This record gives sequence, C-alpha cells and structure tokens, in this order.
Amino acid sequence: MGTISLEHSDRLYWLGRYTERFFTTMKALDRQFDKMIGTVHSYTDYLDCFGLPDIYTDNRDFIRRLLFDKSNANSAAYSLERAYDNGIVLREEISTDSLSFLQMAMDTLSKAEQSSNVRFALLPIEDMIYSFWGSINEHIYDDEIRNIIYIGKTVERLDMYIRMKYPFEIVEKEFIRLLKNLNRVPKGTPYRYSTKYLSDLVEILGTEEDYRRGADKAVDSLRHLFETEEVFV
Amino acid sequence: MKRVNFFYATKLTFDDYVHDHSFALRIIPLETDTQHILSCSLNIAPYISTQQTVDAFGNNVTAGYMRDDHRFLDFEIKGSAQVDHTKHRTDYMPCYLYQSQYTKPDHALKVFYDSIKKKCTGTAADKAEYICNILSKTVEYGKGSTDTTTTAEQAFALKKGVCQDFSHILISLLRMEGIAARYIAGLAFCDGETHSWVEYWTGDHWEGIDPANNCSVNDDYIVISQGRDFRDCAIDRGVMFGKYTKQLQLVRSELT
Amino acid sequence: MTQQVQFTKAVGNANEINELLRRYGVKFGIYKNGTFNEQFFPFDPIPRVITAEDFQSMEKGLAQRVNALNEFLFDIYHEKKIVRDGIIPEDFIYISKGYLAECEGITPKNNVYSHISGIDLVQAKDGEWYILEDNLRIPSGASYPLIARDLTRIAAPQAFEENPIIDNRGYAELLKETMENVNCGGARAILTPGRYNAAYFEHSYLAELTDSVLVQNDELFVEDNVLYHHTYSGGKSRIGVLYRRIADEYLDPLTFLPESLIGIPNLMEAYRSGNVGIINAPGNGVADDKGIYYFVPKMIKYYLGEEPILKNAPTYLPFYEEDMKYVMAHLDKLVIKDVAEAGGYGVVFGRDLTKEKLEEFRQTIIAEPRRFIAQEVIDFLDLPIIEGNKTVMRKADLRVFVLSGAETKVWASGLTRFSRNPDSFVVNSSQGGGFKDTWVLSR
Repeated sequence: MGTISLEHSDRLYWLGRYTERFFTTMKALDRQFDKMIGTVHSYTDYLDCFGLPDIYTDNRDFIRRLLFDKSNANSAAYSLERAYDNGIVLREEISTDSLSFLQMAMDTLSKAEQSSNVRFALLPIEDMIYSFWGSINEHIYDDEIRNIIYIGKTVERLDMYIRMKYPFEIVEKEFIRLLKNLNRVPKGTPYRYSTKYLSDLVEILGTEEDYRRGADKAVDSLRHLFETEEVFV
Repeated sequence: MKRVNFFYATKLTFDDYVHDHSFALRIIPLETDTQHILSCSLNIAPYISTQQTVDAFGNNVTAGYMRDDHRFLDFEIKGSAQVDHTKHRTDYMPCYLYQSQYTKPDHALKVFYDSIKKKCTGTAADKAEYICNILSKTVEYGKGSTDTTTTAEQAFALKKGVCQDFSHILISLLRMEGIAARYIAGLAFCDGETHSWVEYWTGDHWEGIDPANNCSVNDDYIVISQGRDFRDCAIDRGVMFGKYTKQLQLVRSELT
Repeated sequence: MTQQVQFTKAVGNANEINELLRRYGVKFGIYKNGTFNEQFFPFDPIPRVITAEDFQSMEKGLAQRVNALNEFLFDIYHEKKIVRDGIIPEDFIYISKGYLAECEGITPKNNVYSHISGIDLVQAKDGEWYILEDNLRIPSGASYPLIARDLTRIAAPQAFEENPIIDNRGYAELLKETMENVNCGGARAILTPGRYNAAYFEHSYLAELTDSVLVQNDELFVEDNVLYHHTYSGGKSRIGVLYRRIADEYLDPLTFLPESLIGIPNLMEAYRSGNVGIINAPGNGVADDKGIYYFVPKMIKYYLGEEPILKNAPTYLPFYEEDMKYVMAHLDKLVIKDVAEAGGYGVVFGRDLTKEKLEEFRQTIIAEPRRFIAQEVIDFLDLPIIEGNKTVMRKADLRVFVLSGAETKVWASGLTRFSRNPDSFVVNSSQGGGFKDTWVLSR
C-alpha cells in the first residue's frame, strides 16, 4: 500500500508523539520515584519543568496521579490512552501485532496500579514499548509513511528533553535525528517543515550557551514547526 | 402537436467559499413518447467536467464534482421540443402503486380518503378527475406556508400549498384508491418557475393531470423528471464543505 | 442424516485464551446511556462441533440458497418474473423497506448482489438444522472465529492434532477473491462509519488481512463517475471495489437520505456506470426481509429447479387464507414476527400472552395480515458453556458465511453465539452474549 489519507498521516504523527510522551513521562517518573525515597515533598522541580500547579498532597499522591489518573492530561496513563486512540484507527497500516503492544502496555499499567511494588510492576512496559517500535519498523513498508511516525516521536522527545533541561549533548543528538527525518519529507506534503521555525531551532540549538538562554523559544518553535492541529474525532 | 422552446436557469451563490462540492442535476428533459427533444444545451459555470447517466426512473442525471474553492454554481438549459399528447407513455413501474416518503398518509388523510371513496367511481380517469375536483375545493393554493420538505400529510393539515403539495396529496389519494401515480417535475406555460403535476396509470398508459390548476395536461407541459415523489425529481441535489452559512438560489424559467 | 456431536470438554484454558483475545484487542463497541464503550467479546472454550456429514449437506444447501437469492435479486431489479408468474405476491416486494426503487435497472458486475451472506441457523433437539434468517446486507462477525482460531491453536495445540478440524484461516484469501471478482479497476477499500461503530474491530482487522485501505467517507470522492481516495500528499488514487460497512440508506446522500453525513455523494452514479464494485449490492434488503423468508424455498424451485436442501423454520403467512386459519387456531403456540421490524423487535411468543392480549393480537393480525409471519417455536438444542467452574446449558445460534465470487463458497467455519442468560434466546453480543469456536470436521 503506497498511499494513505491525510487523516491517517495525522494519526500516525500523533501516535508517534503520544507513545513517546508516555514513555518519556514514565521514565521521568521512575527517576522521580527514586529521588523521593526518604523524602516527603520532593517533586516541585518536576512540576516546574512543565509549568504545572502543585495540586498533590504528598509524594505518593503525586506519583499515583501522574502515573495512573486518566483524567489528568499530564499523566502517563492519559498519554498512553491517546496513543491507543490514534493507533486503533491505523490497524491496517501498523498491524494488529503493533497494536497489541499498546494494548498490553495499557493492561500492565492498570494492573500496576494495584501492585504493592509499582516500579517493579511497570518494568515490562519498557519491553513492550521497545517491541512496539520494532514492530512499527517492520510493518510500515513505505519509507515516506514510516518517516511520519518517527517525526512525531522525535519532535515529542525533543520537546520533553528541552523542558526537562536535559544536557546539551543529548538534546543536540536528538535534534540531529529530527533534521535527518525532516530531510526525507518531500516538498508539498504535510510534515514538510516551516522554514522560519526550523531556522530558529537551528540557531537556538547551535551552541550550548544559546540552548540555555533560548529553551522557551525552542519549545515554541517546535510547536509551530508544521502548523498543524491534532485531529479529534 | 406543438413545438415549444424551453429555458431554465439556476444561480447558486454562497456567502463564503465552499469546496469538495458534489452535485447531481436532473435538468435535461426526458425523451419520451409524448415529447421529442429537438435540441438541448446545458451550460454550467464555473466550467467543470460532468458525466451523464440515466437513473432508475428514467431521468437524465448530470453528476459533477468541484474540489477547489468557489462561491457560485450556475447552470442553465436551453432547447426546443416537439410535444404531442395524443401519443401515450407506457413506462410502468410497480413501485408507483405504493406510498413513498412524501405521500405516506397519516390518520387525517386516511379519514379524508374514506369520506370521498364512496363517490369515487368509474374509470381511473373518472376517479382522478373527481379527486382533483374535491382537492381544489379543500386545499387552497398559496405560497410561503410550505417548502420542499413538506409532505402530503403536512400540506393537507395546513389545507394550503403550492403545486408540489397538490401533487403529493393527489398521489397519496390515488395510491390509496389503488391507482399507480407518479410525480412529474417540469415546465408549463402557466407558471413562472418550475411546475409539478401528476401522472396516473389508466391500466395501459400514463395520463397527466395538473392538480394545482385542476386541469388535464396538454402540449403546454414539458417533463423534466419523474419519480415516486419530489425526492426522486429534485432538479439539483448537492453536498459541499465550507464555512458558508447561507446559499442564495435564483431560478428563472421560460416556455415559449 | 444428522447426528449430534456434543463436545463438553474445554479446549485450552479459558483464561489463557481470553488473555490472548485481550492482547489482540478483540473487541466490540456498545453504547450505554449515550456513551461509547469498548468491550472484550467473551469467549467460551468448549467448541461447537459440526460433523463432516452435517457440514456437507449444509454446504450444498447454503450455496443453493444463496444462489437462488442472488437470482431473485437480479430478477426483482430487472424483469420481476417471479412476481409476474405469481410465485410471490407483489405487495411483499414493494412494502419491504429493503426494496430500493433507486436500484432498478442497475446490473452489478458479474450479476453478484450478495457477495457476503451471513445465514443464521439453529439446530433443534432432534439434530435437524433450520434456517432462521438470511443476512444479505452487511452481515458481521466473520473476524471473531477467524482470530479466535489463531489463538486457540496457540492455547491448545493438541486439540488440533487429535481432531480432524478444517482450518478456517483461509477467510482472508476468500474475501480477497470475492472482492477481486467485482473489482472494476483500482484498489480494494473497506468503508467504515468510524471508530465508534460496534464492529470497528472487524472493519480494521479485515482491512489488514485483505490488504485493503480502510476508509471513511470524507477520504473519498466521486469525480467523472469514478471513485477516488484523497491521498495525504494531495493526490488521488482510484478505488475499484468498495466493501462498505454502512447501511444502504446512508450510502449516497445524493441518491438516498440527503441528511446522511457518512455517505459518499454520487457513489451510486459511479456504481451504475460500472466504475466501482459495491459489496454487498445496495437494495439487497428486499431479499432478507422477514416476509420474503417464507418464499425462499419457492425461489429455489423457481430459479434453480431444485428441491431445497435446507429447511426453513415452519412458517405461515396469514396473507394466505389457509395459513390464516392455522395461525388463528394455534396462536398460543406460535411465534409471531412483524415483517416491518428488525433487530429482535416485533417478535411475540403466543405462549407469553394473556388471554386478553392474545385476543387483541388476533384482531391485529386479521386487520393487517400482510404485516405478520407466524412460525413454529423450534426446540433449540442447547450448548454447554463454562460459567465460573461449572458447565451450564445455554441457547446458541450459528451464523455461516457464504461468499459469492466466481463461485459460491461456504466458509467451513462460522460464528456460534450464545446467550449467557439461561432464560434468554437473545445471543447478541450487545446483550452480553459470548462466542465459541466452531469446528467443522473433515471426516
């Protein structure tokens, strides 16, 4: 199958973004979990990264709600559900196998909520998400179409890393990855970058010093890179 | 026998750009036993490629699709025909004997039928004329109280309507009486816009009757399309996308 | 000729199989109190077994029935010989909601109307199979036994070593052949009303297996009477055959319901011009109507000159005087169905009515004899299912899929649905019913 519709290309992009948002959130919360051992209230730095209000009573409440509360738009569970929502309409593009890894991740996540050792119960999810990406790579035959989901993935990763103030070397690596993906997008198709915002990004992510000063602007430019909206049903 | 020239034009104007506009026009008059089309030209603006087919009821369908933004769609036909009502049409379809979406009677219309059926006797033609007569005394001709979505039962409740409503009520009553009847959309000398009337099956051919004017159909009538009711005969049906809120439709027709 | 084979042993572990079904997202959607929910379709591990002998006669009988129904559909939308010859009274055709006058004169490619037919059968206690109804519009359910077999073979390989079970996983190939048989040049597509349709899993799963594009109406358009798919880069690609999973009335807003938001404008013009195949043909509803069901055995004799191999449930038409007499005399024992209703509505069991209600109903039938059919109540053969750690007996039916491509082929499988409620005859998944694997034995 060489062609897909505009709707499906948008779905692929958002499938990439939400799967990555879920994964990065989960990993970040795992590190937060570790940091919190032996403390009472040590998560404000995490909330600050995303400009979120502190509505949590304690460490435990923070972790629980950011992991499992589907009604919280910043939670891992919410992102995973959105990833699944986008994936379910792409079955014939990405395959039942790929979809099954998201289903298993959802099931494992809801079981982990009941577990006495949450971190341990979450471990298999990492395997599932890596399997998901392997399966995606196998099943989407058309390079141009496969590239769309990777663009979504890389944009999201870059966005999260910049917000979480990752070291420059790591952000730079991901940015180069994104540039490679963007170079493969033919002119006149969706996900062809806007030149203005891309050159802004190139400037900001050029040196470590610019990166430290221009992080907010980088996030903003990233948001406008394709000037498209998420597709809602 | 009579030679007539016909002209019909519609201008659709939208108050904002529309796109992905699909339409189906039933505007090219039929070639039948009673009318021979001598010439007919169809013009559509903006220019767009169209295809012709003939639908289940024998109507000429012109289908088109405009993907790009546009704010208007105009179409017009111009031509001439030889009309001869001494000849007969025999293209029968059994579905014309059964009530359809616009003609399905409600309780009031059934009661009305029961009140007249005793005096409704004789041949199909006698019955049709009798019902038409009664109808012209029961329902008043008047614009503005009904529209293209009004059904026979709704118009009958209002006791007021235009040619389309008269046709639907007559068809409903004829079908209750067991006479097959069909809806005709066309042009007539007596009307400035498009007109509508009814054909009923005599047993071996169709006969036209104009319930809005309570008269029989003669060589002053040109058939554009036919069907079970208005739905099969709409001159233009379309689906489009855009932010438009209003469409303005101007219709002009002439028969000379 | 029939024998009863009842398997009472579970094949594999129900939890394991349900775990696998979960993993692969085997779901159906339902609306409860206005919100959409997806549920997993409960699977029972005791298979239904159909013997080779039973299946052979079923296979012949179903192919015969579907061939006659296809002949009937062609006839009704063309010459109507069967009405003219007095086999079926005209009224039964034209009062049927499924008859679409708009389809008069259209000849689908290779004259196939019902490409995918879902025929519902039940087995009586004496082992005899009866046809309950024909589904010739958009019968659903084939995906469930298909994926379930894949999973039961993982969960219980030994059962498939020990029993001569016909492999049912050729359905995708069969469906592909059926689609290609009426392809008018272009890609294969499956049209879904969207994610929030009860059968969305099936739509997307069959698209994946048949290598078809899964589309919604806004991705399609008709230009110059050819159906196209908008591609993401702004181009268009032609669709040659459309397996649509939306109802006739919604298919084309310029031909049918103008208010349909899920249809494709001018699709019917493309179809009439022979530029796209539509599976199943619009207008098929006239042949699977409750009123027409009575006439199917007569159709088989009329069109094929053969004796019907499979039996209808004994049915009476109050329209005929003799049948009316019988119905009046046995009303308290019969099941009465309103031909205008569908989906389990308008079905009344005489035995459930009070004396007054029965009398009232009698008058309704006398006043409108054409509106009803009456059937003998069949004593269903119940099937064992596992509930908790007990085995209980429940009502079940069987939907067999018949595919009409170049030849008419009966899929050696089927969807066995059962009721989880002991007092209920309703096997619909939306009512909490479940499904079983259906084994067709090769010897």
